[in-house]
Amino acid sequence: MIFEKRTERIFLAIFFTIALCIPLFLEANSFFVGKVTTILILAVFVMSLDFLVGRVGLVTLGHALFYGLGGYLFVILTPEYEAVNFWVYAFYILGLNALIALVIGAVVLRTSGIYFIMITLAISQMAYYYFFDSLEFGGNDGLFIFMKPETSIFGLSFLNLDNPTHFYYLALLAVLVTLLAIKVILRSRFGRIVEASRLNPERTEALGYNIFAFRLISYVIGSTLAAYAGLLFALQYGYVNPQFMTWEMSGTALVMAILGGMGTIYGAILGTITYEGLLYLFEHMTQDWMLLMGSAIILMVLLLRKGLAGYLEKLLEK
Amino acid sequence: MSTELFFVQLINGLQYGLLLFLIASGLTLVFGVMGILNLAHGSMYMVGAYLVWYFVAVTGSFTASAILSAVIALGLGILIERVLIQRLYNRNHLDQVLLTIGMIFVFNSLQSILWGNDPYGVAVPEALSGAVPFTDNSSYPVYRIFAALICVAIAAALYFLVSRTRLGMLIRAGESNREMVEALGVNIKSLYTIVFAIGVMLAAISGIIAAPMRSIVPGMGESVLITCFVVVVVGGMGSIKGAFVGALLVGVISTFAAVLMPTMSNMIIYIFMILVLLVKPQGLFAK
Repeated sequence: MIFEKRTERIFLAIFFTIALCIPLFLEANSFFVGKVTTILILAVFVMSLDFLVGRVGLVTLGHALFYGLGGYLFVILTPEYEAVNFWVYAFYILGLNALIALVIGAVVLRTSGIYFIMITLAISQMAYYYFFDSLEFGGNDGLFIFMKPETSIFGLSFLNLDNPTHFYYLALLAVLVTLLAIKVILRSRFGRIVEASRLNPERTEALGYNIFAFRLISYVIGSTLAAYAGLLFALQYGYVNPQFMTWEMSGTALVMAILGGMGTIYGAILGTITYEGLLYLFEHMTQDWMLLMGSAIILMVLLLRKGLAGYLEKLLEK
Repeated sequence: MSTELFFVQLINGLQYGLLLFLIASGLTLVFGVMGILNLAHGSMYMVGAYLVWYFVAVTGSFTASAILSAVIALGLGILIERVLIQRLYNRNHLDQVLLTIGMIFVFNSLQSILWGNDPYGVAVPEALSGAVPFTDNSSYPVYRIFAALICVAIAAALYFLVSRTRLGMLIRAGESNREMVEALGVNIKSLYTIVFAIGVMLAAISGIIAAPMRSIVPGMGESVLITCFVVVVVGGMGSIKGAFVGALLVGVISTFAAVLMPTMSNMIIYIFMILVLLVKPQGLFAK
């Protein structure tokens, strides 16, 4: 069984059942379908971060860099007024992003601990200001995507990305694939060594494993998943701008992952939904939603030691 | 670049660097002693600036407002440590990050509720409003020189406090071995409260000093926070001497970058930090 915990199975069963049905009830309300799509895309991003921080032990505060790159690479690589094939270009973009992540990872992984947090922050800030100050990439306004790609495989087309419901299922598919990919990786031999190197780097090294290489490959995997989320977000809203890459974006994702329960992966979905749900609620209640959101975050840190997933597990596991 | 412009920019850079040091010193002190990465440190800088703006508007006296604001900040520091931070000493770093991000939200929101989102400015106090002639056709504002001197004075006081006083001795002891200090009968809890409150006050004092030189706007805390991270990391986390050197380097480099290569000026300090970390992965003055 790929999902070991009862809580995990129950949550995922409920989540996917509801998620599959949502567009059926909200077909008429494309705003809500769009909103939930965004939450699903964010969940992919937060899961990739949860994998890096909670499982590999790489606490990064610059993960939004790859979220932004996913969007920017699409606009840079595709012709402006021609619909390209989504799958082909997603492959190019993620491949290129993986190469960039490999180079960046080789640099940042020379540091560790608090310095790793800071160097990842610095690199993402650098990229942020690069795009912010650039003329060719639209500066602060960013770039627009005029043509959404088509999604045919071998001439068969199931999804029309201009249709909010179709886009919704594409995002849900991304959640499922990301979840399964991370779970399979973690259960593999590779994943065991990665976790061992988080728990005890010296011993893992003594066993003859090159933990730098294992961390680097994990960093590339996490960054590539983040880029896929960024690509989907850019396509959903039809633009990309430097705001994708702010440290606040990285920080918010970290908040969602910790709220959900660090390292649990399914907790990342839970954390994202809770955070975005609270945000939506507070924003509609009062202009001073930040006060409520901040207080809620503080309360949750003080009361929930292992995040929401930890709390659920305490209730459901025997 | 003419020699004259060079010196004006150099002084600007050093003055900015000294201000950065004052903000960063609190951050690095709290991290060094307590192991807490306070992301809400920039908010304390913002609080200082807003408080002094408010009190100057009410009382009209900059000196009285500055002292009052600093005392309030010290009280705020004690309160935050006692109510929130203290509960997280046995948790991991990520919980502290989360808590302090929550605090950023709360402080930004309180700022907007109490004082609105308009930009404000504080007039330079009259006694310091002149300018010192520099050469025949350029001069330098007295307040900026005064601000630099205050920063140097506080840096010296901090050095004296940490290296020459009994409290400083305990701070250094707490840095290297918490259990041992406790075993010797020192109340480490109140020591932590004092250190955290001093850190908050240092950030607020920087905000107070910066208020007449910079505009007081929402979000001012976050932009300064990230620059402070660069300073602290370049110098070596937890090292006050490192923060001093790092702040002057970052101040001068970013000032010259703004003149010499405006399109890249925002990126330069991050490139500098990455280069430093590649050569010295623990910063210049690592312990």
